[in-house]
Amino acid sequence: MVRFKHRYLLCEIVSEDPRCRQCVDERAVGAAAKDAVARTHGDYGLACCSIAFTVKYLNAYTGIVLLRCRKDFYRLLCSALPFITYLENRNQRYSCFFNTLHVGGTIRTCQKFLVQYNRKQLLLLLHNCTSEEERQSIQKSLLSCCLKEVEEEQSQSGDEEDDTAETD
Amino acid sequence: MRCAPSRVRSQCGALGSGPGVCTGGNLPLLWVQPGESGGRREHRARGFALSVGVTRHALLAGWGRGSGCTATAAQRRRRLAGCRHQTTTPSMPWAEPGLRRKRRAAAPRRLVPRGFSMAAVFADLNVPGAPERKSLQSLLEAAAHLGYSTVAINHVIDFKEKKQEIVKPISPSELFPSLPIVQGKSKPIKIVTRLTLVVSDPSHCNVLRSTSTNIRLYDIIAVFPETEKLFHVACTNLDVDLICVNVTEKLPFYFRRSSVNMAIDRGVYFELLYTPAIKDSTMRRYTISNALSLMQICKGKNIIISSAAERPLELRGPYDVANLGLLFGLSESDAKAAISTNCRAVLLHGETRKTAFGVVYTKKTHRASEEEGVLPVRKKAKTEV
Repeated sequence: MVRFKHRYLLCEIVSEDPRCRQCVDERAVGAAAKDAVARTHGDYGLACCSIAFTVKYLNAYTGIVLLRCRKDFYRLLCSALPFITYLENRNQRYSCFFNTLHVGGTIRTCQKFLVQYNRKQLLLLLHNCTSEEERQSIQKSLLSCCLKEVEEEQSQSGDEEDDTAETD
Repeated sequence: MRCAPSRVRSQCGALGSGPGVCTGGNLPLLWVQPGESGGRREHRARGFALSVGVTRHALLAGWGRGSGCTATAAQRRRRLAGCRHQTTTPSMPWAEPGLRRKRRAAAPRRLVPRGFSMAAVFADLNVPGAPERKSLQSLLEAAAHLGYSTVAINHVIDFKEKKQEIVKPISPSELFPSLPIVQGKSKPIKIVTRLTLVVSDPSHCNVLRSTSTNIRLYDIIAVFPETEKLFHVACTNLDVDLICVNVTEKLPFYFRRSSVNMAIDRGVYFELLYTPAIKDSTMRRYTISNALSLMQICKGKNIIISSAAERPLELRGPYDVANLGLLFGLSESDAKAAISTNCRAVLLHGETRKTAFGVVYTKKTHRASEEEGVLPVRKKAKTEV
């Protein structure tokens, strides 16, 4: 089967400025990434990486970004991401840096990783939170996502039990 | 029953037969073919593991778990059943080299680098010690968030300026009562102390030989040679753990293969910084050219990459630093090792200096004043670096 293979880079934008998260958008992130590739690998690198380059997913609240590029040139993009030092949006610069979390071949694998990562982040938040209401809200969200998993497992095992009962 | 070495290097784990390495949890565990005599099977399994790429640390750590206990019950039954029928042939049927490659390709492919899933401990061995506590605290929190398990706080002593004294290192437990927890693990971040000496004159090295100064209290000692003679002396004679390579300007001297090979034999590591490359474009060129010239001589061995980050925004995660290593001319496995296993080796090297090559370990305990001069002496098993 002939299809174009891609690599999806899951990155997290870490910044000290709280305003950075709200003002970031897909165009700014894409421009920053292309700019870094141009500075690091020159015109050749920029041309290679921009063949199928898009920002597939962006979550401004957590700062998670999913970038896509061709499988043959993903190393150029990977090695240029550490050189991003700021994001520019409407003539305002916010200093930040990209932290690569995961490289996947499909969006689904990156999504699976992201779900686990977010769960771990919730646990860390629970450990660090200060006020009581924050703690309760985090605990509620943790329970909801964990219970959902348990419910799914129970429903699956329930179906299997029904099958075995019928065969008996 | 003899297996050709090439046959031993076959796909591991999935078939549940033959010597194999399985990453059960964090440590590699080995199982071997039953029915062989003890010494030969251990030797072969160890050789197989090393050929597959298990590091020596991991091998030593995981060997104690014992062989033959990792396969599940079903696999064990299958293996025993197979062996009962075959007496002379090995349990893995001989395959042509072409077919063997296809079988290996059937193993699940990983896109996250394989080295990171085993005991992945990342360390950043150069964090400049700022005088203010708050900035250092924010740096440590950023490092813990990114996944570094060990951080070394660096004090730089430059002998060109007026006489500076080597102060006693501040104990990190006094500075930071609560250390941030490393992302992905449950332990807090570990802080070690490090001293860097910028030497431009042979007389500056005398400080390393004297035993009365506070140098002994630092965990890691690094030297930054500025002339070729000093580089040679540092590689061959000096009692240091790290040799810093200049990345901010063109190297005034070329590396010589003899000095570099002697340093590799002694267990001294070379350090590259990456923060100047992030900050400035001309520094980036110097960094890459110096790193590539070093790489051509040492072939990627004994290198660590560290940041000299003064602000938390200049730190980069371990995966990104490994990608930077690719830019510097390292191979993929060397780049991964440059931030994990090599850093651990440097820490162990520093520890052996404190403990007389890792054989005797003394610990000062606070006793009542009656027993003032008596220190308990404990024997510690020799650690291999």
